[in-house]
Amino acid sequence: MKTNRFVWMLISLLIVSATVLAACAPSAAPTEAPVAEATDVATEAPTEAPAEAPTEASAPVALQYWHTHSDPETAQLDQVIAAFEDANPGITVETSRYAYNDYKTALLTAISGGEVPDVARLDIAWVSEFADQGALVQLDGNLPDFDNIIKDTFPGPLSTNYWNGHYYGLPLDTNTQVLLWNKDVFEKAGISAPPATMEEFAAVACTVNRSAAETRYGYAQGGTYFWAPAPIFYAMGGKVTDEQITTATDYVNGPESVAAFTMLKDLYDQGCMSPNLLGGGIATDAGHAEDTYAMIIDGPWMVDIYKNNYPDFEVNFAPIPTGPDGTTSSVVGGENVVVLEGTANQEAAMKWAAYLLTPEAQKMMASVGQMPTLASLAGDPAMPPYFAVFQEQLKTAQARVPHPKWSDMDNAINNAYQRMLNGDQTPQEALDQAAEEINALLQ
Amino acid sequence: MGGVGRPHHSQQAMHTKRRYSDLIPALIFLLPGLVLFALFFLGPMLYSLRISFFEWKIVHPDRSVFVGFENYQRALSDSIFQRAILNTFAYTVITVTAKMILGLGVALLLNQHMPGRTFFRLAYYLPVITSWVIVSLLFEYMFNGQAGLVNYILKDILRLIPKDVLWFADPILTLVPIILLDIWKGIGWAAIIFLAGLQAIPAELYEAARVDGADSLAQLRYITWPLLGPTTVFLVVVLVIGGLNAYVPFQLMTNGGDPMDLTHSVLTLMYEATFGRIDFGYGAAISYLLTVFVFIISLIELRLMRQQAA
Repeated sequence: MKTNRFVWMLISLLIVSATVLAACAPSAAPTEAPVAEATDVATEAPTEAPAEAPTEASAPVALQYWHTHSDPETAQLDQVIAAFEDANPGITVETSRYAYNDYKTALLTAISGGEVPDVARLDIAWVSEFADQGALVQLDGNLPDFDNIIKDTFPGPLSTNYWNGHYYGLPLDTNTQVLLWNKDVFEKAGISAPPATMEEFAAVACTVNRSAAETRYGYAQGGTYFWAPAPIFYAMGGKVTDEQITTATDYVNGPESVAAFTMLKDLYDQGCMSPNLLGGGIATDAGHAEDTYAMIIDGPWMVDIYKNNYPDFEVNFAPIPTGPDGTTSSVVGGENVVVLEGTANQEAAMKWAAYLLTPEAQKMMASVGQMPTLASLAGDPAMPPYFAVFQEQLKTAQARVPHPKWSDMDNAINNAYQRMLNGDQTPQEALDQAAEEINALLQ
Repeated sequence: MGGVGRPHHSQQAMHTKRRYSDLIPALIFLLPGLVLFALFFLGPMLYSLRISFFEWKIVHPDRSVFVGFENYQRALSDSIFQRAILNTFAYTVITVTAKMILGLGVALLLNQHMPGRTFFRLAYYLPVITSWVIVSLLFEYMFNGQAGLVNYILKDILRLIPKDVLWFADPILTLVPIILLDIWKGIGWAAIIFLAGLQAIPAELYEAARVDGADSLAQLRYITWPLLGPTTVFLVVVLVIGGLNAYVPFQLMTNGGDPMDLTHSVLTLMYEATFGRIDFGYGAAISYLLTVFVFIISLIELRLMRQQAA
């Protein structure tokens, strides 16, 4: 009996130690990594990198680059990487592609786990948020030749990299939204040209609607998040906060902002703007191509989307109609390239980020609809012809508020927009409340 | 391990020594499970408890600011959180009730001797194993406000409504497809569990009842229902916990709270706070509040059920 039990205990101990060791080995690494790496990087990276740099040329470096490019863009990115690797022997770039909606989560998970990509392409609206968390490497003073690189970039896109006195990214690509008008629907309604002013825009939106036998809307918006009404908002002189980002009072609820939302609210009430923006309706891209929506407002990527989904559809762009003061405007979109805090290959990472800003790389990506951020490439014959209207629009387009709390501000305006569309509040009341909410975020 | 009987006092002294040494191999066998549990459940749980008391900085946890119960206070006084709680409760009460009643009905049908029984069992279980994501998107298409099947049937065929309903533009109507989806997808599972309970009831009881002249309704009332007691308790507890943890259909059909943050479930709000606004402390606090709610509700349920059984 006794020996028997002893043998059993021995066997069970063996099994246990085997399973425990097996279980611990992989799991110990991730749990310990953040602590170990955080201190490693903080203390060793700065001292090690310069010392090893001259001898490191032989040691191959594999960079991790994360992005949210589309299919054709990803194919073109591979060409850019090949060119970069040819020019920089010893450095390879491995990419990970994410869906836009999962991207922030993936990055945050990687950051909190201490396993960050070296370089990432980031929505311009996120850079200050990530920089505020300490997740990004400051580029001025660290990236060789930084001043020369940014000298040739457009100031609007560049400004989205600026937070708390420093630059945390480079403007990788830029875009803005312009008016898309469906020529067939316009012609059937007896209109030959896109509207030039907001008054014409509102009139056309309702004319096109009334002249159609089947359900048709003059204008449709993708949603109530700020990006959707932003071009009209800015063109009509709307502002979210003051330049110094200290208050929203008399800006987001100022007369121009209220007028912009009042126009949209009226279009909605008159049935000239589709109710799809409240959720659960026909998407703007499909509706526009299928003659349901005469006008939508969207970006340069629509060319490729229509090429794939509606090859026979003729895409027509026009500038955003002008506001009461006679000027047009829109919203700046785009992506920046950032180097992440915690990278073990900072020097190579900087090289790759800088390479993406070279005219060669920018031209290659331009061929798939990524608008370059280099002023010297504006009007370059290599650019697709439809870039012209966007480049013209970019001259007056405005960036959203570069602030770590922008997501919350966006939400405040989004909810205000919903409240006025539902008739819970007048545009003035809804925006007064949004101003209060944004002011609270700025405290 | 649930079946171990309690020894009498007189026997206990005699057995203590042996039982103690018996415990060691048992413990050793339990150890891998316990280690894994500690590593992957207890550890992260305690860590997130810690996060919930901080204004947490994800990149530099050392720079996090201790704020005590502020995150919890913020959540409890936040109207969006209160609405999320309300949505989650309403969703849970409606779906659990419907799944229990319909599940029992289906189980009773499937328990009959009839042709094609296997086919029907399979058919009712099929929704359970379909992907949440796919059927969520499918329901979203069906309830599309401008081109959806449901509006077409209600408006153009049945003529019950004068114009299209924008299901996803209204914070209450949005819950309709979400709740219907969960019921449709959950009936099969409840039915299978009920079916297992039904088949454990000895056929002699029904035979005896029939001899005594009980009709099928009386049989259901006096034999089936009481003997299904433990199955019912199990189902209610598991379904309620599952309901309170609803996430996927809410996230997919409301994009996380649309419109106006009025359609959040507790978990979608937790997700948005954590990953949308990088407010990890607040997100952790929300998940702990949910844990407390689930715990209290489960306790109440078990107490009620035990009272009923007694």
